[in-house]
Amino acid sequence: MNLFESLKYATRSILTNKMRSLLTMLGIVIGIGSVIMITSIGSGSQSQISGEFDKIGANTMTISLKDFVDLDIGKGLTFTDVDFLKMHSEVNYATPIYYSGGAKLKLKKPGETKYATIYGVNGDYPYIEHLEMKYGRFINDDDDKTRRKLAIIYDNVAVKIFGREDSIGQEISVKTENGNQKLTVIGVVKNPMADFEGMLGDNIPTMVMIPIRTAHQIFGTDQIQQISLSVKDINKLNDTALELNKMLEMKHKVKDKFSVTTSLKNLEQVNKVLSTITAFVSFVAGISLLVGGIGVMNIMLVTVTERTREIGIRKSLGATKKDILIQFLTEAVIITLVGGIMGMLLGYIGGTLVGSLIKIVPKVSLMAVTITVTVSSLVGIIFGVYPAVRAARLDPIEALRYE
Amino acid sequence: MIIEVRNIKKIYKTGSIEVLALNDVSFSVEQGEFLAIMGQSGSGKSTMMNLLGCLDRPTVGDYILQGTNVSTLDDRQLAQVRNKKIGFVFQSFNLLPRLSALENVELPMVYAGIKAKERKEKALMVLSKVGLENRVHHKPNELSGGQKQRVAIARSLVNNPAIILADEPTGNLDSRSSYEILDIFESLNNEGVTVIMVTHEPDIAERTKRIISFFDGKVVKDQVS
Repeated sequence: MNLFESLKYATRSILTNKMRSLLTMLGIVIGIGSVIMITSIGSGSQSQISGEFDKIGANTMTISLKDFVDLDIGKGLTFTDVDFLKMHSEVNYATPIYYSGGAKLKLKKPGETKYATIYGVNGDYPYIEHLEMKYGRFINDDDDKTRRKLAIIYDNVAVKIFGREDSIGQEISVKTENGNQKLTVIGVVKNPMADFEGMLGDNIPTMVMIPIRTAHQIFGTDQIQQISLSVKDINKLNDTALELNKMLEMKHKVKDKFSVTTSLKNLEQVNKVLSTITAFVSFVAGISLLVGGIGVMNIMLVTVTERTREIGIRKSLGATKKDILIQFLTEAVIITLVGGIMGMLLGYIGGTLVGSLIKIVPKVSLMAVTITVTVSSLVGIIFGVYPAVRAARLDPIEALRYE
Repeated sequence: MIIEVRNIKKIYKTGSIEVLALNDVSFSVEQGEFLAIMGQSGSGKSTMMNLLGCLDRPTVGDYILQGTNVSTLDDRQLAQVRNKKIGFVFQSFNLLPRLSALENVELPMVYAGIKAKERKEKALMVLSKVGLENRVHHKPNELSGGQKQRVAIARSLVNNPAIILADEPTGNLDSRSSYEILDIFESLNNEGVTVIMVTHEPDIAERTKRIISFFDGKVVKDQVS
């Protein structure tokens, strides 16, 4: 019996028990569907994050202290370090950063506040972070030196405080650990994390950028927690990072004190975390595939018992063990394969639905499709082989006598 | 000689108990014979039928079918012998319920690897030979008992087998249908087909040309009528 004949007979007997076949397929549909849904959202968010990194430029790095104790005893980074690093021919922008979280930003509604991080930076900051200026201007050196009480805020935060984006000249009120501060808005930038609002909701960090020396004055410190900088040639990013670290170590006459993190490293880490999460959740979803496979085996065993007499008849007419084996195996594989394809479609639809809720475009790769088809066929073979072998081994005389 | 059975013994083992179903049976059948194997239940006639049909192998002895010693063949080869050299007709018809009459008749040719077009032509030919040319697309449950058995006979003929083995072929039929079926066997035999029929009814066996009677696993009578 050739393959075409086997397919014909298998399809026929599957269609004879439509309801049963459909229910059996359902296990596979759910298993494959959930794996596809999760992986498509996983790789969708991965490519979105990579895209985001590309947009803001992956040519940046941050330098900080390995041990923050150094910061408190006055052995940290300094303003001269920033100027020193800028002397390197690869560095095009650099800013010292002093940040303080936990500040409360007064919103439009009386009594309502929002947590924000105060970011003390210099005029290079928007170029490093590729911030998009929507209204007004950014901080300049003059603002910094004279410690003006100015602030740059995000567009979406402006809406929450003033009810509109253009809020130049307005005053914001920030409650910090060192008392209430009134700052005048001189610039509104597009929130660079806006695309993740769907995923993170209100958890998007809110930053209020102010001149670093103003920040130092407010918080009564001269600490610089980190230096952010961008390089001209992204291909030399890692080499430059090593060189800058060496320069700083020479300047401070220390070893192994600074930690230099490039944006590529960050991207790698984010991707690694996402891959791990995706793999783990897929594994859990994969268990439902296993359960589906057991369902297929169960039904195939029932089918073999029900059709014992048919097997006897076929054998008496000249069917070999192989013919019978292939017949039942084909049935199992058709069930799982059709279930797999249905699951794939359903998973894609589910991924699109969930994706539209969290603003992620799910991605189903050719790889995922290939794996789905292979896995569902394999499930059919693995869980179909035992019932099929049982069918093939039936003694024709016994089988013919079966009522 | 189309069949030669030499000193066959068949022993069934159930646990520690051995049952001697056939005890030193020998006979031969010539091409074109029409014979009945008779006996009561437990006489060994069904065992003989299973052996002749290559559904089973003898414990001792040789069964030579058209020059091939079937006793020494493996499962796959036995399946091929069943497919090409033996046509079964059963008491309970044993048609596949989901297939039409035509498809049931095509089935042995499917396992013989014959192409679809040729299968259909041959199946239609044998179906018209048993007078069912107007019922080819009917399912078994749309056919009467006599018609079902005629489909089964058509199926048994379709690969041009060496012998047709009929196991109580009229057992589930009324007397009129029974005579029709026997008429078909008779006319097939007149065309030169070897027909072996297993039965316990003497009046059915009367219609054949030779009766081999079994009792207690042995041939007790072998007479030409």
